[in-house]
Amino acid sequence: MSLDLSLILIQLLAGISRAMVLFLLASGLSLIFGVMNILNFAHATMWLLGGYITFSLFEMMGGEGPLLLVVAIIGGTTVMAGIGLLTERFLIRRMYDRELPEQLLLTFALVLIIGDVIKIIWGVEDRAVYLNIEPLAVGETYINPYYFVIIAVGASVAAGLWWFLQKTRYGKIVRAAVYNRDMVSALGIRIPFIYMGVFALGVAIAAFAAGVFLPLMPMALGVDIDLIVQCFAVVVIGGFGSILGTFVASLVVGIIYAFSILLWPDGALAVVFLIVVGILIWRPWGLFGTELRY
Amino acid sequence: MAMTTESSRTGKPAAWRFADAVLSIPVLAVLFVAFLLVPIVLGQFWVEVATEILILGLFAASFNLIYGYMGQISFGHAAFFGLGAYATAILFREFSGATGEIGYLEFFVSVAASVPVAALGALVIGFFCVRLTGIYFAILTLAFGELLFFVVFSWYGFTGGDDGIQRLLPPPLLRHATAYYYLCFVIVVLAMLLMWRITQSPFGYILRAMRDNQERTRFLGINTRAYMLINFVIAGTFAGLAGALWGPFTRSVAPGLLGWQESGIAVFMTLLGGSGFFAGPMVGSIIYTFLHAWVTGFTQYWPLTIGTVILAIVLFSPGGLLGAVDAWRRARAGKKSRLAADMATGEEETGA
Repeated sequence: MSLDLSLILIQLLAGISRAMVLFLLASGLSLIFGVMNILNFAHATMWLLGGYITFSLFEMMGGEGPLLLVVAIIGGTTVMAGIGLLTERFLIRRMYDRELPEQLLLTFALVLIIGDVIKIIWGVEDRAVYLNIEPLAVGETYINPYYFVIIAVGASVAAGLWWFLQKTRYGKIVRAAVYNRDMVSALGIRIPFIYMGVFALGVAIAAFAAGVFLPLMPMALGVDIDLIVQCFAVVVIGGFGSILGTFVASLVVGIIYAFSILLWPDGALAVVFLIVVGILIWRPWGLFGTELRY
Repeated sequence: MAMTTESSRTGKPAAWRFADAVLSIPVLAVLFVAFLLVPIVLGQFWVEVATEILILGLFAASFNLIYGYMGQISFGHAAFFGLGAYATAILFREFSGATGEIGYLEFFVSVAASVPVAALGALVIGFFCVRLTGIYFAILTLAFGELLFFVVFSWYGFTGGDDGIQRLLPPPLLRHATAYYYLCFVIVVLAMLLMWRITQSPFGYILRAMRDNQERTRFLGINTRAYMLINFVIAGTFAGLAGALWGPFTRSVAPGLLGWQESGIAVFMTLLGGSGFFAGPMVGSIIYTFLHAWVTGFTQYWPLTIGTVILAIVLFSPGGLLGAVDAWRRARAGKKSRLAADMATGEEETGA
């Protein structure tokens, strides 16, 4: 195995696109935690469900062409946003006053339930979407141009989310709710609606990510656990509640993961965990978090 | 009412913690007699089921030292169960060699080896984990658990990788299900007595204080981090002992013993039985094992079933079975004492 330039380039692209799915998941996770103080264990499982739904919508419409995939992604995202609304309204909402372990257990139960529901509906085979894309010749190897699509989409969502939180009225309400929900409530804003919206937004972003990744990353039972553990790593490294921190940490974890797979295949996760352990000891509030929120 | 004075963080009635002994001692006494009689009354199949209940019950009870008593949730407790199981299995493999036979002394040395190995593992992992609380504690324990799982999973030369280690046949006299059952029974009973003693000691009450309010406990001059670490090591050690019994029972070990699903079993059992009670995890182990055997008899969708059960418990009865029994007992006692008070003073009931 030689570490020539094209190989490094490919691993870098794979790492950055992996970072995008981590970011899209972790930003929702971090947003939900920041606003409602609920850590959603089932976030990656909802991502998986979104992926399967998008896959089925795509197949139903004929299963060909990038345009139909876009339609399917929009459909899948909408369905999952609805599921997110219902989950918050009927389950999560009952947990706000509860102890932390009980909150964790509720979302942990959702991991098991949704995982089995997927198994009942879609069976155990992996589901992927095949798009006929001409590979791009770079040096001696070929690169799937879809990597660039994913990186562009991920970066746009990151920018969009940042813009939403910083510049729009609703984004400001959400940020205010992070700091003082009683005051926001006193200003006449309906906190339950904000909570429902934030939860649905987080789930929708996750479902969107699953759809965008379908041509590259097959949906398979069990990958949600790997992914949620890595998302936890990302939010811990970046700091809960910081979009910038989540973005940087996603890049760090994604790229390190991609390169350690090349050099030490079994140790990829170990390297990520070592960083997490280091961060938790050195700066438990994360690289970009504030000490106050930790 | 004085009884409803609530601790600030947990929201549980202050008297709740004293209910532990009132309910746990009779329940465990009944279970002791019942388990003692299992091989005499029931057949070999039920003896094996009871062995499983005892081993996993010990595992869950060790988890509850962290969850119910210290108030932190670990999603990586199976790491120590698995460490203990592998410590025993690897020594077992070395001792038995090519013949596959193991002497009595070597057998007990292998089982005993799980204790220091699991304790050391818990000390190293706990050193990092107790720096954190709440979700950070949960995440880090999960991360460490998965990390150990991957190490065991991929270290073929030492642990057998995903094949695990097979042919862990106990020495001749312990091969029969009943003999092995009574060995487990003695070890589990002794371990539970020791754990009960720990939870009733001043140390145990410091754990409860940390659960209710860590900051105030620190203000009392207690080094909370050190106490958390000691408890983490104790819990990990008992989990390792349970793991040691598991390998020779199923005649094999596999990396899954360290994984998050195995950690989940301890969590589920504790929640089913009631985390507020020492007897809770053992009661939960009985419920879980029977539920599992019954449900997997007609459907493969066990996660869906247990997930739904957990969801229902968290939403409607977070105290588990013993919590529900305790609430019922309390309501009855409350009615009686109110009645007695009314008769004594001759006053009318003024309502809630």
